Parts: sequence; structure tokens; C-alpha cells
Amino acid sequence: MDRRKIDVVLSTLLMIAAVIILTNDNLADGGAESDLGIMFLPRVVAGFILIFAATIAIQSFMKLSKGAELEGQEVISTEGFSGIFIYIGIFIVYWLAVPHLGFMVTTPFVMLGVALLLGGRNWIPIIAMSVITPVLIYYGSREFLRVYLPTWTL
Amino acid sequence: MFDNILSGFSAILAVGPILGIIAGVFIGIIFGAIPGISCIMAIAIMLPMTFYVDPIIGITMLLAVYKAGIYGGSISAILINTPGAAASFLTAQDGHALTKAGKAGKALDMSLFASVSGEMIATLVLILVAAPISAISLQAGPIEKVFLLLFAFTVIGSMAGESIPRGLLSCCLGMLFAMVGMDSITGSARFTFGIDELIGGFTFTPMLIGVLVMPEVINVIRRRKVPHHELAITHSPNPADNRISFAEFKKVFRTILKSSGIGTFIGALPGLGSSTAAFIAYGEGKRTSKKPEEYGKGSVEGIAAAESANNAVCGSSMIPMLTLSIPGDDVAALLMGAFLIHGLTPGPMIFFEHTETIYAIFAGFLITDLFLLGIARSGFKFFVKMASLKRYFIFPCVTVFAFTGAFTAGQNINDILVLIAFTVMGYGMRMVGLNPAVFIIGFILTPFLEQNLDQAFAIVGDDYMRFFASPFAWVFIVLSACFVYSSMRAKRKASKVPAPAEEKPA
Repeated sequence: MDRRKIDVVLSTLLMIAAVIILTNDNLADGGAESDLGIMFLPRVVAGFILIFAATIAIQSFMKLSKGAELEGQEVISTEGFSGIFIYIGIFIVYWLAVPHLGFMVTTPFVMLGVALLLGGRNWIPIIAMSVITPVLIYYGSREFLRVYLPTWTL
Repeated sequence: MFDNILSGFSAILAVGPILGIIAGVFIGIIFGAIPGISCIMAIAIMLPMTFYVDPIIGITMLLAVYKAGIYGGSISAILINTPGAAASFLTAQDGHALTKAGKAGKALDMSLFASVSGEMIATLVLILVAAPISAISLQAGPIEKVFLLLFAFTVIGSMAGESIPRGLLSCCLGMLFAMVGMDSITGSARFTFGIDELIGGFTFTPMLIGVLVMPEVINVIRRRKVPHHELAITHSPNPADNRISFAEFKKVFRTILKSSGIGTFIGALPGLGSSTAAFIAYGEGKRTSKKPEEYGKGSVEGIAAAESANNAVCGSSMIPMLTLSIPGDDVAALLMGAFLIHGLTPGPMIFFEHTETIYAIFAGFLITDLFLLGIARSGFKFFVKMASLKRYFIFPCVTVFAFTGAFTAGQNINDILVLIAFTVMGYGMRMVGLNPAVFIIGFILTPFLEQNLDQAFAIVGDDYMRFFASPFAWVFIVLSACFVYSSMRAKRKASKVPAPAEEKPA
């Protein structure tokens, strides 16, 4: 994947966001008056974002229009990206399931899923790890840290 | 100061802190030695677990993880030529050459002794100079602090990024994210878009784990088809090849001292980091060596130079953080977050408000070196075995620890969404050449900047020229310009050096 194209698109989005911050007066709500003004620093930062994003966009656009050869860091290898999507998917399901099914029920399946994704096939140690780790974390958090991880609510 | 150091030792020599240090050293070495992951992951995962213990125990434990993690990185570098961080690249060159010659024990020993010596020297410098510097920096008012912070942003942004605009853009993005939520000065809600959950801003721990730790897990997931390398120590039948003798250590002691000095100096400057220190010290060691031709081909002196400089950065990177509230690198930013979470605000006042705690932490820093020496020396085989664990055992656990850590911070399930969002963002930032560490530094320092800026505006009123009345202002403006200029020159020079030709398959 050509990073220069991503640079142009992302920089454009950042520049739009910066212009919105610079021009919109409804981004802060309520509060007292101060010498500085609530939007002073965000606008200064937005101004810098505009400058740096524009610099990156122009540099990348120039290289793109000249058809310059891609340098080392400008090539984004997409190999193995499917694994990333699956991992993020597992994490989202984990986040959605934990409040209902509880930490102790959900975590072993998540650990099994991640181990499987990483090519683990030694079932007995993997299953043992997936069961023992959540139990240790759950009781460890409760007894030592006084943190109560979510439990089954269905 | 001597009384404070003694009281620090008396506070640290208790069961809790010592157990914390031992646990930190174990965890740090294991995480550091696992190829492909850095000690930053260990610190971020351990951070939530320290919330509920005394700051002396919690912070010394994290510092032990840091020190041991940096040393642990050299184990994988020496044994399988996989440096965990750029700073261990040079150790890998010489260390792996020794491993191939059956002298892994010698390389590991040298690396350990050099690491501990470098860390101890830097820690002593930290103890001796931090309090006097903080006494000077106490003289600075809000205007001077504003310029100091702007200097820090400029230096870190321009030195740490892939290019200057990308480094500074990373910093600006971190600053912008820090402004989300209720402003502590006026009580206004900024960038909340009517979402109540955003009024408190982004929770620090999930964001930190998301931006700095999870992208490393994702990298491993992405490269999951790369074969697993098992670590193993090679043994030579000649016992002298498996250890470092006192005579050999004495021979390289001058190099260790010099490299530790270089590392300590570079570590005290924000933004340069351990890689720069290791490369400069290695170059200097080679220049003054009697056997420069051995460097890169299995030189014990080369390992000593790189490792002592690399590890000296650990202690001295705390100097700008503790005295000026400027974290010099990603680990210092993480540790600054830990200090803040424990109610200790890094900066000159910390030496007056939390004298006993800070000197106990310093004492812990020194004691950690002794524990590191003892534990690492006696448990090489154990650590190598632990670091050889297959990744499908390690990363499911890391995932669950990250989840628990993010939840523990606020006991709020929405923090997991913050973790997921910043994981994607952190990985995306790395892909497009933005620097996540600079992003975090921008995030941490912005509240200080805004607070000081507000006070500075109150002082100067309408007479804006008073901003430039202080000589400090001009010093920092000139220093910022110099840093940006030298960084531009260095980057232009680096871009002109032709990349090494890729090996063609036969």
C-alpha cells in the first residue's frame, strides 16, 4: 500500500478538523471566563495541526505527482492484516459480552480465540491457561486490589 | 540531602518495597527478554496493579520493571540476534557473534555487569543533581514554565518523529486529545459534543495501554506466521568462555565509565533516548579502543560500551521528568503518568512536598541494581526458558491483562471502548509515521501548559511584551530554534546516506 496516498487523505481530514476548530464557536460549553479564553489553546494547536498536516500533504502529493519511487517507510505492507481485523473483532465482542456474561465466563473463550489466531494447537496447556488465568485475575483483583470485575447478569 | 537519602533507605528496606522490587525485576527481565516486545508493555500492564499499593512500593516496582526490562532486551539480542529495541542493536551485533562462538555466557555476563554499572552511575548522578536542579527551577514563574514547556514540545516533537512535521503533528494531536472534557480552570466542557461520558476526558490508563502497548500485540498478530525462535544459551567446554573474569571486567571498566557518562548526559536531554546514547558511546568506545577491528565481530568491550550507555539513560531520563516535569521519552512519559496517578506531581515541588517518598524511590532505584545483579546472575536459565514461551501462551495473557488494566483504572466498561479506539489509533499512527510516544507526552504536558499559560496571561495583562522580558524566554526560544535546526540538518544528512542494498535471493 502506498503511504503517500494515505498521507494526503489523512492530512486533508486533519486540516478540515483544524479549520472547524478555528472557526466554530460552539465547541465549548458553559464555564467561567478566564484571561486565556477557553478556545485559545485549542485554536493555537489547531493552527499548528493545519500547518504540519499541510506540509505532510504537500510533500506526499508532490512525490505522488512526480511518480517518485516509493522509499522504505512509504510502503505499508498489508500482509497479515486479516489477523488484525479478527483480533479487533474478538476485542469488541469481549467488550460487549463481559457486562452480560461476566469476566470469568467470557475470558477463557477470548484467550482461546487469541491463542488459536496465533497458531496455538497444544490444546491441553492452552485450555488450562485459559481457565486458570481468569480465575487468578478475578480473585486477585477482588482480594488484593478491591476491584470487582463484571459478573454474570443475565 | 544525606539525611534524606538515609531516611529513603530506611523507608525502602521493608518487606513491601523489597517484594515489589523483586517482582518488578522478575517481570522486567522476562518481558524484556521476550523477542519483539519491550519493557514498556510490562510497565503499562503493571501500572494498574500498583494503583492500590503505597506509592513507594508501586513506583519502585515500576522502576524495577523498567531497569530490568532494558537489561532483559539484551538477552534476546545476544542469544537470537533479535534486539527488542533499537538501542540493543549494537549489543546484538557483538553479543550474537560471541554466542555463535559458544561464548554466550561471557556476552550475557558482560551485558549484565555493564548494565548494572551504567544504571548505578546514572542513578547516583540523578540523586546528586536532581534536588539542586529542582531548587533552581523553583525560581521559574508561570511565564518561564510556558517557554520551558514549549521548548520541551519542540525538542521532543522534532527529535523523536520520523520527520519534523510528523513528530510535531503527533505532539499536537496529543495536545488536542488532552483538551477533551471539562476544563479544570473554567469548568467549560470542550469537544464533548453533548456526550456526557466525554466530560471527564479520556481515561489515561486505557489510552496509554491502547496507544503504546496494544500496537505491539497487533504487530505480533500480524507477523504470526513468522517462525518462533527459541532462546538457548550456548556453552563452551572452556569455563573461561562462559563467564567474565575480574581481569576482563577491569580491562573494560574505563569504557564502562565513559559510556555511562555519555548515557547519563544524553538521557538527561529530552527526546534523544537510549539508542542515540548507545550509538555515540559505541562509536567513542571503538575510536579509543586498542582493538577497534573487533567491534561488531564479538567484542566484549563493544557490549560494555553499548549496554552501559543504554542503561545509564534509565536513571538520567528521570532528571528532566522529576525536576522540570518533562518526560524525555516514552517510558519516562509512562512513569510520569504513574507518578501522577499516585498523587505525586513530578516537578521541582516534588522534592519539598514528598521528600521522604522521592528519596525512598531513589534508594529503591539503587537497590534495584543489586537485586537485578543477583537475580539475573542466578537465573539466566530460568529467564531464557520463560522468554522462550510460545507467543500463543504469552499474548492471550497480555490481552486479558490489558483488558483488566483498562477496566481497573476507573472500573468502567466504557474504558474498554477507549482502549479499543486508541489501539486502532496507535497502530494507525505507527503505520503513517506518527510517533505514539510523542502523542502521549503531548497529552500529559498540555494541562500543565494550559494552567501556566493562564497564569502567565493573568500576570502580563495587556502588556504582551512582558512575555519576552525574562531572559529565560529568549534562552528557550533560541534553544528550540537550535534543536529544530540541528534536527533538520541531521535528518537531511541521514536521508542523503544511501540505504544498504537489499540482499538478492540466490
